[in-house]
Amino acid sequence: MNTTRALLSGLTLAIAALSIAGTASQGDLVAAQKARIAEFAKHPKARSHVAFVSNGVADFWTIAKAGAMAAGRELGCDVTVEFPGGGLSDQKRMLEDLIIRGVDGVSVSPIDPTNQIEVLQLVAEKSLLITNDSDAPTAPRLCYIGMDNYIAGRMCGELARAGCKGGEVAIFIGRLEQDNAKRRRQGFIDGLLGRSSDPTRYDEPSKVISESGYTIVGTWTDSFDRAKAKANIEDVMTKHPKLALVTGLFEYNSTLAVEVFKQSGKAGKILIAGFDEGADVIAGIRDGIVLGTVVQDPYGYGYESVKMLNAFTKGDFSMVPANGMLPISARVIKKDNVDAFWADLKAKLKAGKEAASKA
Amino acid sequence: MKKSLGIICLFVAICLITAIYGDGFLTGFNLTNLTQRTALFSILALGAGVVIVAGGIDLSIGSVVCLAGIMTPWLLVEHGWSAWAVIPLVLAMSATIGLFHGVLITRLRLQPFLVTLCGLLLYRGIARWMTGDQSQGFQGEFEDVRSIALARFDVPFLGDYRLPATVIPLVILVVLIGLFFSRTVWGRWLLATGRNENAARYSGVPTAWLTTGAYVVCSLLAGFGGMLFIFDIGSAQPSDFGNFYELYAIAAAVLGGCSLRGGDANVLGIVVGAATLQVLRTAIILVGLGSQLEFAVIGGVLLIGIAADELVRRYSARRAEQTSRMQH
Amino acid sequence: MAELPVREGSVLARTVLRVTGIGRRYAGIPALTGVTMDVRAGEVLAVVGENGAGKSTLLKILSGVIAPSDGVIEQVDANGTSVPLQMENVREAARAGIALVHQELNLAENLDVAGSIFLGREPARFGFLKRATMMREAREWLHRVGLNVDPSTQCESLSIAQRQLVEIAKALSTQAKILILDEPTSSLSAREAARLLAIVKVLRASGVAIVFVSHHLDEVLEIADRVLVLRDGQQTGILNRDACDRATIERLMVGREIAAPAARVLPVDAQVRLQVQSLQTVHHRRHRISFEVRAGEIVGLAGLVGAGRTEVLEAIAGVTSSAGHASLDGIALTGNASQRVCEGVALVPEDRARNGLFLQDSVSMNLSLAWIGQHRQRGLVNRQGERAIVNHMISRMRVQPPAPARRVQTLSGGNQQKSVIGRCLAVNPKLLLLDEPTRGVDVGARAEIHAEVRRLADTGSAVLFASSELEEVLMLADRILVMHEGRILGEFAARDATEVAIMHLATGGTA
Repeated sequence: MNTTRALLSGLTLAIAALSIAGTASQGDLVAAQKARIAEFAKHPKARSHVAFVSNGVADFWTIAKAGAMAAGRELGCDVTVEFPGGGLSDQKRMLEDLIIRGVDGVSVSPIDPTNQIEVLQLVAEKSLLITNDSDAPTAPRLCYIGMDNYIAGRMCGELARAGCKGGEVAIFIGRLEQDNAKRRRQGFIDGLLGRSSDPTRYDEPSKVISESGYTIVGTWTDSFDRAKAKANIEDVMTKHPKLALVTGLFEYNSTLAVEVFKQSGKAGKILIAGFDEGADVIAGIRDGIVLGTVVQDPYGYGYESVKMLNAFTKGDFSMVPANGMLPISARVIKKDNVDAFWADLKAKLKAGKEAASKA
Repeated sequence: MKKSLGIICLFVAICLITAIYGDGFLTGFNLTNLTQRTALFSILALGAGVVIVAGGIDLSIGSVVCLAGIMTPWLLVEHGWSAWAVIPLVLAMSATIGLFHGVLITRLRLQPFLVTLCGLLLYRGIARWMTGDQSQGFQGEFEDVRSIALARFDVPFLGDYRLPATVIPLVILVVLIGLFFSRTVWGRWLLATGRNENAARYSGVPTAWLTTGAYVVCSLLAGFGGMLFIFDIGSAQPSDFGNFYELYAIAAAVLGGCSLRGGDANVLGIVVGAATLQVLRTAIILVGLGSQLEFAVIGGVLLIGIAADELVRRYSARRAEQTSRMQH
Repeated sequence: MAELPVREGSVLARTVLRVTGIGRRYAGIPALTGVTMDVRAGEVLAVVGENGAGKSTLLKILSGVIAPSDGVIEQVDANGTSVPLQMENVREAARAGIALVHQELNLAENLDVAGSIFLGREPARFGFLKRATMMREAREWLHRVGLNVDPSTQCESLSIAQRQLVEIAKALSTQAKILILDEPTSSLSAREAARLLAIVKVLRASGVAIVFVSHHLDEVLEIADRVLVLRDGQQTGILNRDACDRATIERLMVGREIAAPAARVLPVDAQVRLQVQSLQTVHHRRHRISFEVRAGEIVGLAGLVGAGRTEVLEAIAGVTSSAGHASLDGIALTGNASQRVCEGVALVPEDRARNGLFLQDSVSMNLSLAWIGQHRQRGLVNRQGERAIVNHMISRMRVQPPAPARRVQTLSGGNQQKSVIGRCLAVNPKLLLLDEPTRGVDVGARAEIHAEVRRLADTGSAVLFASSELEEVLMLADRILVMHEGRILGEFAARDATEVAIMHLATGGTA
């Protein structure tokens, strides 16, 4: 019975997706969503149901969930939070399921925006689409909530530039397919090298860049295999024995850098510019072996996403800025503010886990 | 030794090429890292080898690595259990998984491929469900327990090469499994079962028990390996920890001379096979090929190696036949 | 050569195929020589002979599977002009209107009846099946063989007898004028067999020429117009219907007198070692078997293929499940095969490549496999003892070449069989079971194997063996049990047995 329903809905969706791909243009879909919001202005929804979809599973998203749930409680709307653990196809399935369940709005962190344009268009057609954390500029999303990864990357690069006066630098990142990873990496490079701010710039990952006293020896990816990520750091240390600094642009890349340097006695000799708030990275800041780390505000992503989608269902479009981007700024955590930050983070994480256990 | 000649040649060739064209291959630091990774993957590959010798296959190794690896910090950190309880418990659970496979395969006569393929999905699913899909780690604690995998010993006259502690269980396992196949009755019978299960059964070999035992050993080693892996990397995420490790394990065993048709055991070959794979992965970085090429290089080199090995084997078999015919 | 003059058959029946002096040699050794016969429309020609007499070689030649080494096969048309056939492949035979219905049925189980009948010749237009045409024609052919099933029935849901008829319909649908039936009733019940024979008679009346191969002399006597008897690859006679009787056929099948082997003297009061009571095997559930084997006694199970001898041996060895009771020295045999080996039972299986040998392994490994289990020392292999027993068995069994490291694959059939038997003898079994102990083994090796089996019996072990070759049964056994379709129909002391008498019982005759 359930299977039949799922099959039927899947079929409908597939047909819908085809027809969209065939006919509707981007502008039409944005206009159609806005028209529906205008409709909501006349008949506001009493209790809306909105969804928040991450791009994977991590503590980061648990905090985002806490934000989303908190907003849901404050505003009196139902919130569904989904963490796709199986990559692109898993996220696609979750989005389709949410549409089938008839949610009023979806905030999603797209894993690979250019290759999932169909499913994003589908969400826009059947519901209201905004993006968080990583943007999908070509999709018919009404707004992007999140930090500009290029700017955050720059913050990390500038942190490294301030703490390390030249030498060999290596970049480690989970994978480069997604937009936020590309922009973050480019921001780091531009910030480190003191270049002008230009998010459209792109340096090939395999090229060695030597500029203004720094040599960026390369970028290594691991497809989220942590044993591979660890091996990458070790092998790059072997190949480049004079490394001055590494950056791990995903949370576990920074954490593993701290691990490897401690195990091989390089802690403090090779500096680390971190990203996100892994426990070892925070400890590393306290011990002085990590220069600092750039943290995002996932709580804000969750909170603002739910708030905005709920406003849409009341016909309120005023939260969306003119450029369609709601900035949630990143912060640099260094030795001076690390303790205050950690206490606040623990509190939010606890709230998120409680929300998870209730659900 | 003669059986391992092909894989040893391949291994030496890859090491030489990497040493010549790459940077820092022969440094103590790199050799230490390679020893550690080889030991970790060899433990999985030995388990895969035992099952392959018995004429079976185990596709669930990566998922058992994940489940055992994730459970260890989950119980230690999240639930605050003692390491003295957690380690035996996780090992017992892994062995039980193998027993489950063995019983399904020998008593219900299900195909090993299907049973362990379902296991691949099942155990990862359980790991993700159990932990709420959250990444698990030691959060800077349990240094003493983690030293099972992280301790390093200085070796005289070898400069800054430091022998990883994981080599100890590896050597013990290699000796035990080697003796099992060469000296014990059950080892011989397991070889016979892998070669021709019917003939073994007709000769009175308890094939069902031995096959079940092989799956128990394989899952036990996968669970043990999973624990060592998590001790080594400190944290892992249930959705991707150990993905494809079964393929590395099976590839190492087959490279090492354990034919997928069953009945051929070569314990040392398995370790050299695992080492070959690890050197290849490192070579990609040390030579500077770019990580996009990683899979292509590994796949290509292995294919060439296997093809060359097979051709050499056939050539020597034909020559042996000719000489024996001439003697008659 | 023929003991009876070959008489001409009915002159009314028209000859459609003439076979003159065909023979076949394998590696220079003749498997079939000098067969001359006419196959006539509207007549049943039965072919009988012991296992290994050359029947299957003759069938393979007639159906084009193998080419004859000598002789001529000619097709004869209605005017009496004959055209020589180049029978080099199956298609050639099919073009000449010859169709073979195999003993092992070859229907694709996942197809329906119509699909099976027209497999590879499906009526089609532009690549699309003409399903309705296929169904209609299939129904006609099924009607002809008297099978009343819907052509869309799946083959796997048919009984064996029905499948046999589908096979015949398939053969007829190729416009076959000559139908060769190889042991068509071997898997059928008596009633099904009778129905099949009735249909064969109808086909004969409609002018089809039928070559009918069977072990069951009763059937042959009922249906055959003429009987071709083969023995040791040679034609010993073609009998017309009026000259056919059971005794004559049996005499022609068995032929020469075999020199009786020196009788072994058994103590009259030798204790019973193997006791079998009401044994019920998987394939013959309807019959229960009871017998016993005494210490030092060699008992032979005689019978034709499918008589149930293998099932009895495998049930006693515990490799297949069975109901009933078997005990060795008064202790019930209940466990699985490996437990029974510990209790002193050893089995030499019928199919040595499948169930007996580790072909890619050494002679040493093959010989010592059971011994190392029996003589293990805290689980470890006694390697010195292993080397000693391997060398001992190699010399005792006269394995050639006497090289323990040699791969068994490279040995001759006889030496391979010696390796399997040597493995069993190495553990000094209390009960040795042998299934076809010398199949595919040359005469010299056979004598050596027999001598070793007798030597084991002389030490007081019980030996039970099965053989399709009467000569072997008479040479080796002290006592002979004759099986037919899952039952023991009779028992002979070796000195009282004759091949004719055994063959009479084995083909279903009454004692």
